[in-house]
Formats: sequence, structure tokens, C-alpha cells
Amino acid sequence: MTTTSKNKDNQNIQTVNYQYIEQLLDRYWKCETTLEEEQILRSFFSQVDVPASLKPYATLFAYEATQQHETTLGSDFEQRIMDAIESETDKQQAADIKHIQPLKFTWSHRLAPLLKAAAVVAVVITAGNISERTLQTNSVGIADDDMTANDTYIMKEDISAKIHIIDQNKSEAMACTDSIQNQNGAGTSSPTPLDD
Amino acid sequence: MNNISFKNDIMPLTERLFRLAMRIVQNREEAEDIVQDTLMKLWSQQAEWADIQNIETYTLTMCRNLALDRLEKKERQNLTLNEAIHDQADNAPAPDDQLISRQQHDLARQLIDQLPEKQRTTVQLRDIEGMTYQEIADVMGITVADVKVNLFRGRQKLRESFAATIR
Repeated sequence: MTTTSKNKDNQNIQTVNYQYIEQLLDRYWKCETTLEEEQILRSFFSQVDVPASLKPYATLFAYEATQQHETTLGSDFEQRIMDAIESETDKQQAADIKHIQPLKFTWSHRLAPLLKAAAVVAVVITAGNISERTLQTNSVGIADDDMTANDTYIMKEDISAKIHIIDQNKSEAMACTDSIQNQNGAGTSSPTPLDD
Repeated sequence: MNNISFKNDIMPLTERLFRLAMRIVQNREEAEDIVQDTLMKLWSQQAEWADIQNIETYTLTMCRNLALDRLEKKERQNLTLNEAIHDQADNAPAPDDQLISRQQHDLARQLIDQLPEKQRTTVQLRDIEGMTYQEIADVMGITVADVKVNLFRGRQKLRESFAATIR
């Protein structure tokens, strides 16, 4: 193969490559390219020889390619961050220690369980007294309520019988009194006149 | 996600966090503060690490929220963004000269930074951080469809802007 034919082959390969790049570029503007294809474009435009037709966009892709690997933060930046974090951690720990205060036991805290127990006992006793009184009142009430007409009648009969007995005794006593008076009257009906 | 190591799992994300914060607030000092605040906040939430499904998206979400808070405060204070961009351009590190010149680097950065916040964040997360649509949606708290819409609009604007710079 001669030198001229080799050059022609290279030119053909380059033409095919440029056509492919132009197609990729066309799809790139339409957002139809994959990440890999976009990387191919950046690699292509990062090379020195770019055809005139594609030259306008070389700056953009070459800029993007350099940005991907650019380290703009100084080496001391990482150390600065780590120092800031360390300082912040120390501050946080100091604040945490400050917030942890010893537990204070006051008399009211110590007596609280005892007072609670006393309150419960007082409530139970009060409730017991109240319930007892209520039961007593109810029992009296039930007796009054349960007295029937028959019971009233019996009571009246009893009272009448007693009154009757009292009347009998009274009449006997009257009779007895009358007889005594009669006896006394017979003795005095002919009293002896008094001698002057 | 269990057994998260601050040093091994979170600290390696600082560069990505910084790039995202920088893209949103566009000021180096503020972006550094945001990264520090993010890491400190994350450290204080150690008890919740076990519940985190994806520490990378979780951390980036936190960083974005803090950056947006700063941006909102800055807007309230009526600080001009152009001033911040100007300051940042002076302090930006020199790019790899073999790939891209300093002038081209600044141009690309400025054109991306001029996009609305959602569009530039999606461009940042997709084209620079190489994240999937779902991961971006998780970080931004929007749907995958919305991610694609924002990315599409962002890329279209960049395409027009770069084409215009060459003419």
C-alpha cells in the first residue's frame, strides 16, 4: 500500500468520524444523547484538531471537559472543614455537659410518696363514713315506708284496748270512791248536836 | 444507606459541591462558605444518615438550597451579579492551556453563567458532573421531564450564543 492511499484511508476515517460527531452533536442539542455519547463529544472537542465546521462548539465542550477534573479548592480547605467540625463537636459536648445538671431532691420531692399515700387513706376513710351514714338513713326510711294500713289498724286496736282498760279501771275507782263516801255519809247523817 | 463515612463518602464531594455553589452564586468566597455550611449541616445530622438513600444527591440538594438562599438574600440586598462575575473572573484558576485558552475558558463560563438558574444548574449537573436525569431531578426537586425541558432550553441558548461569538 502506497503512502497516498494510506492518507486517503485516514481522511475517509476522519470524514466518517466527523459525520458521526455531527450526528451526535445534533442529538446533543435535542437532549437525546446518553451520558457516554456526551463524554465522546467532550473527548473529541478536547483534541487540538477540530474541523472548522465544528469549531464554534469546541470551546463549550473543552470547557466542560476541563471543569470535570478541575480542583479549585485549596488543599487547606479540607483541613479547615475538619477543624471547624472538631471545634463544633467540642462546643456541642461542652453544651451537653452544661445541660446535664445534678438531680436536686427537695423536701417536697422526698415527701411526695408519703403525702400521696396519706391522701389516698383520707379519701378511703371519708368514703367509708359517707357510705355508712347513707346505709343507716336508708334502713330507717325503709321501716317508715313499709308500715301498712293493717299495721296502723292493729296499733289503733291496741291503743283502743288500752284506753278501754284505763276506762274500766277509772269506773272501778269511781265506784270504790262512791262506796267510801256513802259509808262516811251514814255515819254523819245524824250527828250529835254539840252541847253548848 | 448505612455506614456513611464523613471522610470517605462526603469529603470527596467537596469539589462537586463547590462547582455547583459557584455556578449558582458566582462568587468564590460565598461558594466556599456554602460548601462549609453544607458539610457542617450534614455533620450535625449524623443521626439521620442511615435514612439517606443517596448521599451524593442529598448533599448536592442541601448545597443547592443553601446557595439559592444566599442568592435570594443577595438579590434582596440589590447587589449586582455583574460585579460578582467580574470579581470571580479575576480569581478564577488558569485552565489547562493545552485544551482551552484562558479567554475561551472565561467565555464558556460566562455564557453558562448567564443562563437562568434552573437552566445553568441542569447544564452544570448534566454536562459537567455527568449525572443522570433522575439524579438531577432529585437534586432539584423537579420531574425528569422538567429537567429535560430546562436542559434543552439551556443547550439551545448556548448553541446560539457560541454560534454568534464565531460570526
